[in-house]
Amino acid sequence: MSTVISPGKTRKRAGTTPRTAGRTRPRRAGRRQQTLACVTLLAPFTALLVAVFLVPVGYAIGLSLFSEDHKGLGFGGGTTVFTGLRSYLAVLNDPSFVSGFGVIALYCLIFVPVVVIGALALALLLDSGLIRLRRTAQMLLYVPHAVPGIIAAVIWLYLYTPGLSPVIRLFAQADITIDFLGLHSVLPSIVNIALWSGLGYNMVIFYAALQALPREVIEAARIDGAGGLRTALLVKVPIIKGSVVMVCMFALIGALQLFTEPMLMNQATPMVNSRFTPSMYIYDAAFRRNNYGLASAASVILLIVTCALSYAVTRWAGRRERSAR
Amino acid sequence: MRHTRNAVAALLTILAMLLTACSASSGSDIAEAGRPVHLTFWSALRGTQEVVDEYNRIQHKVRVDFQQVPSGAQGGYAKLSNAARAGNAPDVATIEYPQLPGFAIDGVPRDLTELLPQSVRRKILPQALDLTTLDGHTYAVPVDIEPMMFFYRKDVFRKYGIPVPTTWAEFASSARKLKKAQPRARIGSFFTNGALHMAGFSWQAGGQWYQTSDDTWRISMADAPTRKVAAYWQHLVDQDLVRVEPVDSQQWRAHLQSGETVGYTAGAWAAGSLMNSTPGGKGKWAIAPLPQWDPAKPSLGTQGGSTFVVTKDSGHPKEALDFITWMVTSPDALRAKLSSGVSSAYPAVPSLVPVARKEMDTGYYSGQDIFGLFQESAKLISPRWKWGPRMTSTITSVEDGFAKAGAGSGTVIGALREGERRTLPDLKSLGLSVTTN
Repeated sequence: MSTVISPGKTRKRAGTTPRTAGRTRPRRAGRRQQTLACVTLLAPFTALLVAVFLVPVGYAIGLSLFSEDHKGLGFGGGTTVFTGLRSYLAVLNDPSFVSGFGVIALYCLIFVPVVVIGALALALLLDSGLIRLRRTAQMLLYVPHAVPGIIAAVIWLYLYTPGLSPVIRLFAQADITIDFLGLHSVLPSIVNIALWSGLGYNMVIFYAALQALPREVIEAARIDGAGGLRTALLVKVPIIKGSVVMVCMFALIGALQLFTEPMLMNQATPMVNSRFTPSMYIYDAAFRRNNYGLASAASVILLIVTCALSYAVTRWAGRRERSAR
Repeated sequence: MRHTRNAVAALLTILAMLLTACSASSGSDIAEAGRPVHLTFWSALRGTQEVVDEYNRIQHKVRVDFQQVPSGAQGGYAKLSNAARAGNAPDVATIEYPQLPGFAIDGVPRDLTELLPQSVRRKILPQALDLTTLDGHTYAVPVDIEPMMFFYRKDVFRKYGIPVPTTWAEFASSARKLKKAQPRARIGSFFTNGALHMAGFSWQAGGQWYQTSDDTWRISMADAPTRKVAAYWQHLVDQDLVRVEPVDSQQWRAHLQSGETVGYTAGAWAAGSLMNSTPGGKGKWAIAPLPQWDPAKPSLGTQGGSTFVVTKDSGHPKEALDFITWMVTSPDALRAKLSSGVSSAYPAVPSLVPVARKEMDTGYYSGQDIFGLFQESAKLISPRWKWGPRMTSTITSVEDGFAKAGAGSGTVIGALREGERRTLPDLKSLGLSVTTN
C-alpha cells in the first residue's frame, strides 16, 4: 500500500527487481530453506492470531448460538441449549443496538474528515519546512497519542464537567455558558477527545509517507513553476493517497469500536446512555444484563460489519487507483 | 520405599498439626458446642454489620461472615451474579424488590416455599410477601417495605399559607401558589433518575407495568394509569412547577438545604436519610401521606425496600433461613440495626413497628409520630404490582429518556415506551414468553 506510484511520471523505479542472494546454490535446498524461514517467521503471528483472535471469535460464535433458555415466566433458572439465531434476531430487533450504529455514523462523519484533513495539513506544513523547530513540533503533536485513552478521557471529562472545569469557569466569567455534555454537544465533545489523541499519530504516518516520496518529483514541480501550496495539493497529496486511504480505514475501524470515551462520559452525563455505541451495547448486555448470548451475538455482528466495511474501503480505494492508472 | 513412607508420615503429621491449629484459632469458646456452621452473607444495607455482630453474640451454632458490598447494579448485583455463575454465591444475600424476579430467573435464589414456616409468613405484611412470591413460589423474605410519602418544609408552607396537598390536583395548585409567593422556590422535583419513583406513582394510580398470566409476561409500561401519571408530571415539568434534577445529586441536595426545594416524594426510608443529609432542616421538615388521585379510594405504591434470599449455592439453607428469620422478625435485630445510626426503614413485619417507634428519635420532625404515619400508609399499598424480569436495565433505559425529556428532548411517556422497547429483545433472547398490550 505504501508503494503507490504516481500517475505517469515515474518510470525510473520500475524494473529494479531485488537481486536474490541464493542464485548460485542448488534450487531445492534454497526452496527448503525458504519454507523453513517462512514457517519460522509466520509461526509467532499465526500462534497469536489463533490464540487471541480465532479462538475468541469461535468461542463468541458458540456462546451466541448456545445460550440460556427459559420456559414461560422463567423463574427458577434456565438451561443452556442450542438456541440457533434467536440471539441474533433479538439484537437486530433492538432499537438501542441499531441506534448505536447511527451514533457511529454521525461520529465518523465529523471525525474522519477532520482528522484526515487536519493531520494531512500538519504533515504538509512540517514537510514544506514552513514550521521551524520541526522535531519539537512533531514531538509535541505526537505526545497526546502516548497518553493512554482512559487517562485522556478522564482529563477531558474533568475539563467538561460543570463545577469542576476551569474552562467552563473561564467562559462563565465572560458571561458565556457552554455545556460540553449537553444533548447536542456531547458527540462533538467525544470527537474532540479522539482528535486530540489521533491527530499527531496520523500526522506522523503522513509525514513518513511524505519523506519517502522522490525529491526529483518535487523538484520537477518547482521547475515547472508550481508554488508551495500547489505542490502540496496537486503533487504531494496524490502521491501519498495510499496512506490517506489507510488512515481513513483505521479511523473507521477505530470508530466502530468506540468505547472508552463514551463509557467514561456515561458516568458523567445521561446524554451518553449505557448503550451509546455498539461496543457499549455489548458491555451492557454482558455485564449489566447478564445476557451473554445477546452480547456474543452483538459482538459477532459488529465483527462482520467491521470486516465488511474494511473490505469495502480497500476495494473502493483499489478500484480508484486502478482507474487512475 | 521406606523413605517415601517416612516422608508421607511426616507430611501427614504436619497437616494434622496445621488442622488442629486452625480449628483452635477459629474459636475456643465454642469448642464444646461442636464446630459451628459458617454462613457467608453479602449486603449493601447500612447497619448490617451491627445486626450480624449481635447474631454472632447471642448464639454459637452458626457463625455469620458478613461482607459489605457496594450498592447498585454495578456493585453488589454484578458481584452476586458473577459469584452465582461461578457457583460460589454467598449463603445469604440482599436483593431489592425490583431486582428479585431477574435473579429468580437467573436461578440465584433458592425456592423457599417449602422451608418458610407459616408462623413467619403470618408476621409479614401480605403486600410485601406478595412481591417476593413469584408464580406461587416464595424466593425471598422481605425486610422492609417503603410506602411513598410526601416530605415537606412545614415552615415554608405555613409562611405562605399553602395547604399541604392531599390530592394530586391540590399538589399542582399548591405548586403554583408556592411559585407565585416565592418565585425561586419549588414544591418538589421530577427526578431524571427516578424511574423507580415513577413506578411508585404508576403503582399508586393502578398501573401494572408487568403482569403474569397463562405462563406469559404481559408488559405495558404505558398503560392508561401510567399515561395519566406521566402526563401529570409532564405538565408540572412543562409549567416549570417542579425542579428537574437527579435525586441524590449535589444540586438536588443544595436546593433542599437552601430551601429552594421545599418538598420531595420518596419511600418512608427517606425520613432517616433526610436527617443525615440535611441536618440544618431540624424542626422545619414534616411528613405527610402521599397525595391521592381519588381520596375516596386511597392507594399507594412503594419506593425502595429490600429482601433477603438464600442462594441455591448455599450448603446450609436451613441455618441461612433461620438467620434471615431472626433478622426480619426479631426486635433485637431491629434494635441492633437502629443502633448503627438513623434509619427509618419501615419493617415488613408490622409487629416490629412499636420497637422502631420507640428507638427512633423524631426530634427532627418535631416529634411527629412518623412510624404511625408509615403504618397507616403501608396498609394502603396496592397488592397488584409486579416487577419485571430485567428491571435494572429497564430502569436505566427509562432514565436515559427522562434525562433527555428534562433537557427538553422527548417526553416522560416517550421515555417509558422506549424503556419497554429496549427491554423486549432481552427477554425474548432469554426464551421467556412475552407479549405487549
